[in-house]
Amino acid sequence: MKIKTLLVGALLASTTIVPAMAQANTDVVVVLSEELDLVEPCMATRSNIGRVIMQNISETLTELDVRGDAGLMPRLAESWEDLGNGTWQFKLRQGVSFSDGSGFDANDVKHSFDRVFSDQITCESARYFADTELTFDVVDDVTINITAEPAQPILPLLMSLVTIVPSETPMQFVRDPIGTGPYLMSDWTAGQQIVLERRDDYWGELPEVTKATYLFRSEPAVRAGMVAAGEADIAPQITPEAADNRELDFSYPNSETVYLRIDGLDAPTDDIRVRKALNAAIDREAFIGTVLPEGTELAVAMTPPTTLGWNPSLTPPAYDPDLAKQLLAEAQADGVDTSLPIEIIARTGNFANVTEVAEAITQMLTDVGFNASLRMVEVAEHEQFYSKPYPESEGTRLILAQHDNSRGDPVFSMFFKYASEGTQSGVADPQLDEMIANASAATGADRAALWSEVFAYVQEEIVADVLLFHMVGLSRVGERLDFTPTIATNAQLQLSEIGFK
Amino acid sequence: MTKMIGQRAIASLLSLLGLMILVFFLSRLTGDPAVLFLPIDATEEMKQQFRALHGLDLPLIEQFGRYVWDLLHLDFGESLRKARPAIDIVIEAYAWTLPLALITMSLVVAAAIFLGSLAAFNVGGFFDRLVSIVSLVGASAPDFWIAIVAIVIFALGLGWLPTSGVGTPWHWILPIAVLFIRPFGLVVQVVRGSMLSALAAPYVKTARAKGVKNLPLIFVHTLRNGMLPVITVIGDQAAAMLNGAVIVETIFGFPGIGKLMIDSILQRDFNVVLAAIMVTAIVIFIMNILIDIAYGLLDPRIRH
Repeated sequence: MKIKTLLVGALLASTTIVPAMAQANTDVVVVLSEELDLVEPCMATRSNIGRVIMQNISETLTELDVRGDAGLMPRLAESWEDLGNGTWQFKLRQGVSFSDGSGFDANDVKHSFDRVFSDQITCESARYFADTELTFDVVDDVTINITAEPAQPILPLLMSLVTIVPSETPMQFVRDPIGTGPYLMSDWTAGQQIVLERRDDYWGELPEVTKATYLFRSEPAVRAGMVAAGEADIAPQITPEAADNRELDFSYPNSETVYLRIDGLDAPTDDIRVRKALNAAIDREAFIGTVLPEGTELAVAMTPPTTLGWNPSLTPPAYDPDLAKQLLAEAQADGVDTSLPIEIIARTGNFANVTEVAEAITQMLTDVGFNASLRMVEVAEHEQFYSKPYPESEGTRLILAQHDNSRGDPVFSMFFKYASEGTQSGVADPQLDEMIANASAATGADRAALWSEVFAYVQEEIVADVLLFHMVGLSRVGERLDFTPTIATNAQLQLSEIGFK
Repeated sequence: MTKMIGQRAIASLLSLLGLMILVFFLSRLTGDPAVLFLPIDATEEMKQQFRALHGLDLPLIEQFGRYVWDLLHLDFGESLRKARPAIDIVIEAYAWTLPLALITMSLVVAAAIFLGSLAAFNVGGFFDRLVSIVSLVGASAPDFWIAIVAIVIFALGLGWLPTSGVGTPWHWILPIAVLFIRPFGLVVQVVRGSMLSALAAPYVKTARAKGVKNLPLIFVHTLRNGMLPVITVIGDQAAAMLNGAVIVETIFGFPGIGKLMIDSILQRDFNVVLAAIMVTAIVIFIMNILIDIAYGLLDPRIRH
């Protein structure tokens, strides 16, 4: 009897000792898929770092409303104006302080960009200013003129990608980020957790979440289980297999586009009929609801539908294996060697069920007569095939890749993917180069119209690649939260958007 | 004994040197870290800057020279990805792996010796068959499956234990239990086999004839002679655990050396890879020396 009592007591004690991670009503626990290597503001455009830092610890001058349709909104800049000749004037918000107590002014903005372009550290956001020379003129504490050479029509949008740090921040990666955001980092225990606590002296409206603890678990089933067990409140990026709870799991477009990059300079894909045959051979609908989650959309462009210049008139290529065979036969009759090997290169872990998707595509291509094979590779090897210079091959290679553009403008995608000089481009088309250059330089309605034309030209005129899917993300959110993940959740997770029921 | 330990230490140092040279050059054959650290649309200028900042643009032999020079000053270099001293990162991970391995292996050794010896004593009986079945299932069961099933049952179903993490002693129960199963299955089989041979020896018959009771007969007289092959297997299993338990670490979010090594290799974080391998090698060399000492203690022929 005594032993039985002891056992029951021990079991009851164990259930009470297991920690309920989310302690206070307004504290949240977020479980992420990978640990952050750095908590460095100038690396916040890297999505795993951005989810913790962006607009939580560090803020930007402007902010793109990815959740709604408000477009570009003020954040640390209250307003901006195009002064002409490539110069934009930004009026800064007054009464803003950093979490170390120092005040925010125009010199901090200049210093933040000096860090981004410094040769003493490698800041990721520098890539958005390639081939653009920026000069800064601090007019007064709350006014700064930024001149781009050549003129950059989307400079205010680019300001949404650079986080602002105090002018005392050293030219090296920091481990204690100081920002103007509503939270400060109170703990970073490597390998275990990062804790953000709300600042009571934040310049804006105070968010409801008082404390956020970030944990790291790479296994999606464990992340989902932690929310189900009450150990965590939000688990972004779970897999379809782990998303088995309709009440807790949310599906949303995640700004990723999956496609097969064709090398249009290689045989046999230098023939447009072969490229059209590749597109007609794949039954895209068959993947959705089977190996890809419901809600996945068929892609008609490299960027998601929320991007400027989205062309609603474009339709996905129809699945027509007979047409694919006919196109191949026509090409063969004209001397194109359609028997050349086509190797599909796909990356393990690129997205959920990537192997199944790649295997099915390979089989579909084989079925219409392509000499297709599949090679699954790790990320480092994939990169060698994905970016120039491309390795030689007997036939050609199709690179199964996933591209993310949640920045709102096609300029972040189209040059790299389609211009002759683009790092991952399989196209060398002077007309397309000119179209991309014109669209990149345009502003307002013209810009949207020109990008729309570029999308149509890529998809319908030159059939540059095999666009496949606009992907959806799956996140699990605990019952007590009032929070709906959206396309924005892919790159940032603003704690101020989280409420409680 | 001291001479033997000295000889082993010198041999270990030479092996360590060879390992360092091998890993340094082999890791650099895997490719350019700048490609993985920087985003896919990074400019060539950014890549060049990254290489220059980390000395990766220098001739390979010069990089090696600098590495050895720094190493002589006990400087393992900085992590390319975490911008911290590589050795700090490795030691932090070992602070989790060492207790995990020590606790698990202690439980494995105690349970396997006790149950394996009893099974050998009752060979062919119900207890022997039960131990054999359990150990065979344990030795062949996949870690990742057991780990997930354990979480589903004990964390999600019963709610007795946390799913993952390292916050409290309760967090350690599932990782240890999952890690325990496979080495236990293996070691118990070896103990049983070894004890079967030892129990058939003439001196056991003599002891029985002299009226020695069963428990002292097994655990005092026979076990010592049956332990030599067991120690070899225990050493092998402990070495595997000190290399990190990647699957258990990944599933339970345990920040140990195994996952660190895999991540660093995949991300081409050379300095962390080198530091992790060197520290692991040192730990394993120390363990091998301890095993040699254990051999000597158990068998006077080796000692002398």
